[in-house]
Amino acid sequence: MSALSFKTATGYIKRSPFQALSAVFVLSLTFFVGTIVALLVYSSSQVLKYFETRPQVIAFLKSDATPEAVSALQNKLAGDSRIKDVKYVSKEEALSIYKNATSDNPLLSELVSPSIFPASLEFSVNNLEFASTVIEEVKKEPIVSEVGYTASLGGEKSLQDVVTRLKTATFYLRLGGGVFVGILALTSFLILMVIIGMRVSARKSEIEILELIGATKNFIRSPIVLEAFIYSLIGTFIGWLLAFIFFIYLTPSLLNYFGEIPVLPKEPSNIFILFAMVLGVEIVASCILALAGSMMALSRARQTK
Amino acid sequence: MVTFKNVSKSFGDIKAVSDVSFEVKKGEFAFLTGPSGSGKTTLLKLILREYLPDSGEILLDEINVTTLKNKQVPILRQKIGTVFQDLKVLPERTVKENIEVALAVVGLSEGEWKSRLDDILKWVNLEKRAQLFPAQLSGGELQRVSIARALVVNPQLILADEPTGNLDWETSLGIMDLLLKINKEGKTVIMATHNQMIIDKYNKKIIHLVNGKLVKEKGEDKKVKTRVLEEV
Repeated sequence: MSALSFKTATGYIKRSPFQALSAVFVLSLTFFVGTIVALLVYSSSQVLKYFETRPQVIAFLKSDATPEAVSALQNKLAGDSRIKDVKYVSKEEALSIYKNATSDNPLLSELVSPSIFPASLEFSVNNLEFASTVIEEVKKEPIVSEVGYTASLGGEKSLQDVVTRLKTATFYLRLGGGVFVGILALTSFLILMVIIGMRVSARKSEIEILELIGATKNFIRSPIVLEAFIYSLIGTFIGWLLAFIFFIYLTPSLLNYFGEIPVLPKEPSNIFILFAMVLGVEIVASCILALAGSMMALSRARQTK
Repeated sequence: MVTFKNVSKSFGDIKAVSDVSFEVKKGEFAFLTGPSGSGKTTLLKLILREYLPDSGEILLDEINVTTLKNKQVPILRQKIGTVFQDLKVLPERTVKENIEVALAVVGLSEGEWKSRLDDILKWVNLEKRAQLFPAQLSGGELQRVSIARALVVNPQLILADEPTGNLDWETSLGIMDLLLKINKEGKTVIMATHNQMIIDKYNKKIIHLVNGKLVKEKGEDKKVKTRVLEEV
């Protein structure tokens, strides 16, 4: 693609500013929605992951359990393929968790000492279906006094319900978002194709002259394909930038609202990396869109020649 | 340089070119003459591979134009400078840009453009019109733009289709001077024209067509090479 091709492509754009605006507008809308959907998919996955990896089972240990016995059980659980994220919580840590949980009522925390909290082993199961079997097995361990299941702590089957509902919501979000973005991408593709097709029709005599003076196919096509790339890349950048500004504006409120649930990365640098990755994928998608749209328009023009 | 061997071309029932054979040697200036519809433009288009002949062979130097693959056609055309009957200048580009297009088409680096542009604009006397658009030029100036575009790539063969058509006598002579100047530099020129005054004024090779048939071929030396091929 020479400087002349670029000059020719920008010349085409300047001569038909409204066609260019409509193409950029539709592409911006597509990539704005695309960015939002990509981030929603990311956030929902993070929420789902958060709930799935919460400690689901707490094995409270007897007060006379020796550190060796605790360590042996911890290793045994860690080696079980159904179990993940095994963590030992000491009496002091349990008190600290309690204090955090009751921080709005200091009187409650003042009345307790570490001795009344049992040490525990907290862990998750890879699949909630294994939970009841695992609980029954752990209950039989001699150093375990009691086994708590978070599902019963927050109400009957609450965690499983949350996870199932989140999975369903995530599935529909991905499906709905995908279909919506797909429809917008198809619209963008058609608009791009129509505009490039109009450009080819309007330039028919110019193309004929260029062919007669010895221009190769690539020489003739490059400004036309370049024009589609210009629309596509400008549309991508505007759409992405709008979504970025929108999210940057909303991020403090979102992080505050969801608290410890990591809907978005907390580190600003990670937010930028996430957006950069989305932009990278969108640039690739827009290049494919531009190339496919322009080549299709050119081949249709060739067929009708 | 250019050799036609028994070339025929029909469009439906109409025989545009019928069994034509001739040769134009390197450095020659040849008039392709005949009334309108005699097949002059078709012959030029056959050289340019705009059309393929129904039969016969067209050789440009050692290249058989008729058997060229489509991919090689641009390379053939880049070797030929063509002045079209309808000029075919790009209306939305300036004079300078019209000439630049030809340089870009042959893949000349942009660094070399300026000197070539300056030379050719001076040569066709369009230096002061370089930034104007075709709509702002006279017929003679447009013709000179077309010639400049054809010559700027330094082709060895020039095809000129009625370059003096619709021009007044003075302007026509100016255009002819340019073409003769190119010819003097060793380039082969084939010029289609039905302007008898022009043909009579210059003692050049004549290939005369009537109804697609070559009826008379006359060399620059009138006495020796005149031959009547067919009475019409």
